[in-house]
Amino acid sequence: MTHRYIKIGATATVLLLAFGTLLWSTMREGTEYFKDIDEVMTNQQEWHGKQLQLHGYVVPGSILRKPDSLDYKFKVQNSPARAGESGQVIDAWYTGIVPDTFKGEAEVVLKGRLGPDGFHTDPNGVMAKCPSKYEAKSAAAGS
Amino acid sequence: MASLGTFLLLATFVVCSYSAVISVVGARRRSRRLIESGIGAFYLVSALMTAASAVIINAFMTGDYSIKYVEHYSDSVQPLFYRITSYWGGLDGSIMFWVFLLSVFGSIAVWVNRERYRELIPYVVATISSVQMFFLYLMVAHKNPFATYLTAVPADGQGLNPLLQNVYMAIHPPSLYIGFVGMTIPFAFGIAALMTGNLDDSWLRAVRRWTMFSWLFLSFGLILGMIWAYEELGWGGYWAWDPVENAALLPWFTATAFLHSVMVQERRSMLRVWNVVLVITTFFLTIFGTFMTRSGVVQSVHAFGDDPMLAKLFTGFMVIILTFSFGLVIWRLPLLKARNELDSWVSREAAFLVNNWVLLFAALFVLFATMFPTLSEAVTGNRLTVAGPFFNKWMVPIGFILLFLTGVGPLLAWRKSTITNLRDSFLFPVGAAVVTAGTLAALGVRVWSSGLCFAMSAMVIGTIVQEFWRGGNVRRKNTGTDIITAIIGLVGRNKRRYGGYIVHLGIVLIFLGFAGNGFKKDEQVLLKPGQQATVGSYTIRNDGLKVNDDGQKQMTTAYLSVFQKGKLIDTLYPAKWAYRKHEQEPTTEVAIRRSFAEDLYIVLAFQPADLATQTATLQIVVNPLVDWIWFGFGIMALGTGIALLPERAYSFALASLPGEAGATAGTLALLLALTIAGGARLSAQAGMGPADQNIQSSYYPRTDFEKQMQHELVCTCGTCGHATIAECRKDPCSVSHEMRADLAALIDQGKTHDEIIQAFIAKHGSQEMLGAPLNQGFNRLAWLFPYLMGAGGAVAVGIAAVKWTRRSGDAPADPIHTDLALDERIDDELRDLD
Repeated sequence: MTHRYIKIGATATVLLLAFGTLLWSTMREGTEYFKDIDEVMTNQQEWHGKQLQLHGYVVPGSILRKPDSLDYKFKVQNSPARAGESGQVIDAWYTGIVPDTFKGEAEVVLKGRLGPDGFHTDPNGVMAKCPSKYEAKSAAAGS
Repeated sequence: MASLGTFLLLATFVVCSYSAVISVVGARRRSRRLIESGIGAFYLVSALMTAASAVIINAFMTGDYSIKYVEHYSDSVQPLFYRITSYWGGLDGSIMFWVFLLSVFGSIAVWVNRERYRELIPYVVATISSVQMFFLYLMVAHKNPFATYLTAVPADGQGLNPLLQNVYMAIHPPSLYIGFVGMTIPFAFGIAALMTGNLDDSWLRAVRRWTMFSWLFLSFGLILGMIWAYEELGWGGYWAWDPVENAALLPWFTATAFLHSVMVQERRSMLRVWNVVLVITTFFLTIFGTFMTRSGVVQSVHAFGDDPMLAKLFTGFMVIILTFSFGLVIWRLPLLKARNELDSWVSREAAFLVNNWVLLFAALFVLFATMFPTLSEAVTGNRLTVAGPFFNKWMVPIGFILLFLTGVGPLLAWRKSTITNLRDSFLFPVGAAVVTAGTLAALGVRVWSSGLCFAMSAMVIGTIVQEFWRGGNVRRKNTGTDIITAIIGLVGRNKRRYGGYIVHLGIVLIFLGFAGNGFKKDEQVLLKPGQQATVGSYTIRNDGLKVNDDGQKQMTTAYLSVFQKGKLIDTLYPAKWAYRKHEQEPTTEVAIRRSFAEDLYIVLAFQPADLATQTATLQIVVNPLVDWIWFGFGIMALGTGIALLPERAYSFALASLPGEAGATAGTLALLLALTIAGGARLSAQAGMGPADQNIQSSYYPRTDFEKQMQHELVCTCGTCGHATIAECRKDPCSVSHEMRADLAALIDQGKTHDEIIQAFIAKHGSQEMLGAPLNQGFNRLAWLFPYLMGAGGAVAVGIAAVKWTRRSGDAPADPIHTDLALDERIDDELRDLD
């Protein structure tokens, strides 16, 4: 009987260790930090080159597009424009199709890396807050 | 009206509490009267909830905007159909809809089982009532859908988001809710079995069908969500591992596990604790999923807003469920002892066990990864997120293991497989896999992960074919019929087993669709007028942009020509629509050219500045094999349907058909199938008569040509579920009226078929009004598919019924044994399953 328990225990340990190692190794490349702009800007050096998801609000009127291309440059600020206080502002770069909801004041999450000249957004890395079908949307529509 | 609704909810809460308490008291005192009273109150709950639902639907239909919920989710221009579906469009209403469904399902389950499981019923009633009480409390205390504006009643509502004004979105939530809510029934029976100590296998029989039924709807809800994401959201994919999607997937894993492990308990009386745990876990995960998406615990692009109060209530409820249920399990552990042990790892039950572990692991992994951002923030203070690639890295291998087991499991014998039967049964499937793998390698398809997926799919299909073939042959020899009849008879005798194989076949097709994803091509291009871009084998040319307005929305449409090998094969019209009141949230009208091999999927990304230069910014996606996912679900539904068909349906067919009436019955079945397939059309035509005047009778076709054209064009009003303009006459539908008027005018101008179609496309800015896109035969086939499946099923049942009736009398009494081992194995299984 004890022999059997040792076998089960050993198998379980090996499996657990294998899963743990796998999980840990995949997590390291699979995870990204989710940060607000203020958090990143206060300590820029630390975040350079790290894969980030940056949360903020597009500065109204800051979206520029190079003619006849899909290259965008825009500014993102920490807090929504109507909050009065804008918080830190960062330049962002992106090449590709932007979502319909991407415009001034839109709440966005950008995936990409921070460089010295601003935030370089990955392809398909712009997520503008869904015009949520639920509560959030009604609040926005009502305001 | 609102106060009536609130009153009804309060009354329901009171009745519900009464039913819960009195049932337990009745069961403990063994008082028949008290138990009956509890059941009566339980039925009353569903009546009250039906009344409350009628009140809110009435409020939506009449536009009672003094009710906040109605004001939030509907407006006066919204079509009637979507005003009704707004019932479950928001949080408060969806909770109410939940209770409504639960009360109705509960009543049905109690009604059906009230005699056979007399001892369990009071506790089933008490459990379901308690769950209902929680949700009713949520509504009464916190989220009353009947809450009204005390002052300043708005004149009109805010309207449902245009993205949700879509047929898929109208039926996706109810389907998912049916799946979720249905899982409460097995849970209630499980708790009742634990409470009473009636832990033999009888409670499983009561819940098996419910689980299968709920599982089917859960799957259907998931698939509908995928189709909606694919066709409406326009990002080129269908699954993004979003928390809301994951929430629905979690109980699906555990329910699938339960459907498999329940067979082990039936056959071998093993895994008894495990099955109870799975039932509890599945129910818990449905509640947890609801909690996750509605309380703001996880960040998701489309979760409901933050609601700490709701989060607290849900947390409390979940803690109670877990403590109570697992407390009961531990208390009853002595009664749940397995009567058998695992004899060998090379056996059917071992395969089921591994399948269960993998499914459970999948559920735990998805749960972990979904909650990871929240967990990491709680633990480290840094919000770390995990994205799609991380999920894929884990779920792809998990999917492979499951696919592998799907192929291997059915080949293993119960208890212990011998070397001989391993060799016999594995030869063909493994051969199929090896041949496929070899062919693919020769063609240069990459091994990981698509190549592997194809090879394993070949193995599973090999297994299924072999099972049908061998079983059919044995039956053929035993009954002396032809192979087709034998196979149909086999399915009839073992609906669950062979229905299950058909489900497996559907799963394989779905996996093929997933594998196709590995060959996806996705490009973003900017095309000036006349410019071309090539993606995959397609060359797309921009012929210009156009803007139209139909009063309800502004439509910007790109005109694109698609070339393949230098030949014009199609014209596509991707568009952006901006609805009134929702100008900031334009909807994407994706243009999809479907085929079995691959979809060409084009999204127009539109910036107002592009219009002046006529530049089309396009996302062009080539999605190989994606339609197989939807087909696969069709097959899965067919298989589940076969497994679900009640025994009585068969005996009825057998009893009511005279032996020689084969031909007549066949014709009847065919007619029946045709009626099902053509139902919409037939009834719509029958409803047309010269008696109805005004709009409904507008523009009756004067010529055959006009009639044909009216049947080719689809009404764009959005309420009629894409009926043709010949059919959309039920409501006073001004849209179809206008379209018929346009058509009549065009015909009067002497335009040809193609000119009229082009004129309509130009006017409406998309192909939306084309009933069956003209030069895309496949599209038509895709639409017909569900009907074909339904018709095929009906015909199969009909033929089977006839055949059995004819052969049942003269089946040889002494079966011929040629392959003894196999015969024994099959008979062994025939006896026990279903």
